[in-house]
Amino acid sequence: MSLSKPDAALLILGHGSTENPDSSQPCWDHAETIAATGQFGSVHCAFWKEEPSFRQVLPMIEEAEVYIVPNFISEGYFTRQVLPRELEISGHTTSRLGKTLHYCDPVGIHPAMTGLLTRRALEMIDESVKPEETSLIIVGHGTGLNQKSTEAIKVQVEAIAASGAPFAKVLDAYMEEAPFIADWQTLTDTPNVIVVPFFIADGLHSYQDIPVLLGIESEPTAAASQREVFRQNPHAFGDRTLWYSSAIGTDPSLAGVIVDQVAYFDEHYLA
Amino acid sequence: MNLADSLSSLLSAENRLTFGELVLCLDAGGSYSARHRNDEGRAVSDLADLDSVRALREMAKHDEAGEYRPLKTAPGLKSGWHTATDSPREFLQRLDAIYPGLFATWVAYDSGTFPPVPLRDTLGRQTGMYRFAGGITDGMAHRILAELCTPGCLRCITWPIDGTAPLPRVARGAGTLPLLCTEACTFAVSRARELAKEAYDLANPPAPAQG
Repeated sequence: MSLSKPDAALLILGHGSTENPDSSQPCWDHAETIAATGQFGSVHCAFWKEEPSFRQVLPMIEEAEVYIVPNFISEGYFTRQVLPRELEISGHTTSRLGKTLHYCDPVGIHPAMTGLLTRRALEMIDESVKPEETSLIIVGHGTGLNQKSTEAIKVQVEAIAASGAPFAKVLDAYMEEAPFIADWQTLTDTPNVIVVPFFIADGLHSYQDIPVLLGIESEPTAAASQREVFRQNPHAFGDRTLWYSSAIGTDPSLAGVIVDQVAYFDEHYLA
Repeated sequence: MNLADSLSSLLSAENRLTFGELVLCLDAGGSYSARHRNDEGRAVSDLADLDSVRALREMAKHDEAGEYRPLKTAPGLKSGWHTATDSPREFLQRLDAIYPGLFATWVAYDSGTFPPVPLRDTLGRQTGMYRFAGGITDGMAHRILAELCTPGCLRCITWPIDGTAPLPRVARGAGTLPLLCTEACTFAVSRARELAKEAYDLANPPAPAQG
């Protein structure tokens, strides 16, 4: 979707990291892509663990109307508590520092993510691989502390399966709760398996921890940008073949989903 | 006046401004330029031309030793580069790639619309794993300032430890743009959590195992 909001700013919120230099890169990449389209008067990013921080960013924005899109994968602790608290906003629209701030839903729960995940998975395999002999696993972090963190993935898995996507099976798996991604060989029974991480960035989890759990690395490797050779697909495990994607949040199409969340806000929440 | 015009106006008046480890200039041809202060006096032809926001952000991401710099105002910005543009708006965006939001912070602080946040207010609103942070003593707060903020960051702190004793307002000196800290950052909050948690654990040792 393309919008024309030259008098409004777009603010993309990310987690960022004090340890991983790649964590914020998808936010910056998507911001650059959207800014080049000229749909907004300006496009900004702010982070919990990097700069500009959520607390610093508002004076940088000169437009009176600001659409705030959390570049987070699910609704939960961050999108419901931390971001509103740090930005001093409540509800869908808040007036603060002379600005009208619209708080959009996080990118990960937009319906467009379903098509994005399906396309990403199909792009991993070539014509010689039959999707009907292939399982698709969407993998997330999972934590006993917050049910919401797995809900977004379960919703996507059901939506992909219901969409008529050609995979033999679509299922969810997690790093830290059952079904465990480490059990991918018993969770699936097809010759081919595609694993797509439902994460915003290629960081500690998607690039370092999950490859170890999958068995394609023996120990956590350096951050993505520090590796000279990127991971080669596919990986053979006896008579099984595994494809492992980079995090869905790094897909360039996510820039479109960020804009879609602004359009969704206008359609559903704008007073 | 918008932010880019404010920056342009300051440079027009003074031609040269220091900003953290940077020196900013309005060149004779009307071009806005920035480089590391250590490179002042070097010929432009001796410096790498970084002509985009992306290139500057990438430059500022690591120090000379290749270590990641999550805190952009930590001392140790790389030298050996130069950036120049005729557009004040583009120039501001390039500065924001090196010191994100710091010019806007100065303008907002100077206009009185962005007051400093006392440390205890920042720590007191934390939740989750940082909920312990609010439990630090004044002594611990001073320790954070002395051990973390002063050696590790070039910003001038404008926030008081609590709201009862505001710090004197920072004024801009001729030829300088202050790098201001208007609120404790994630590093200070994390350190406060560590100190408070250590003190709590010391005061509440685990019960000895039975038997």
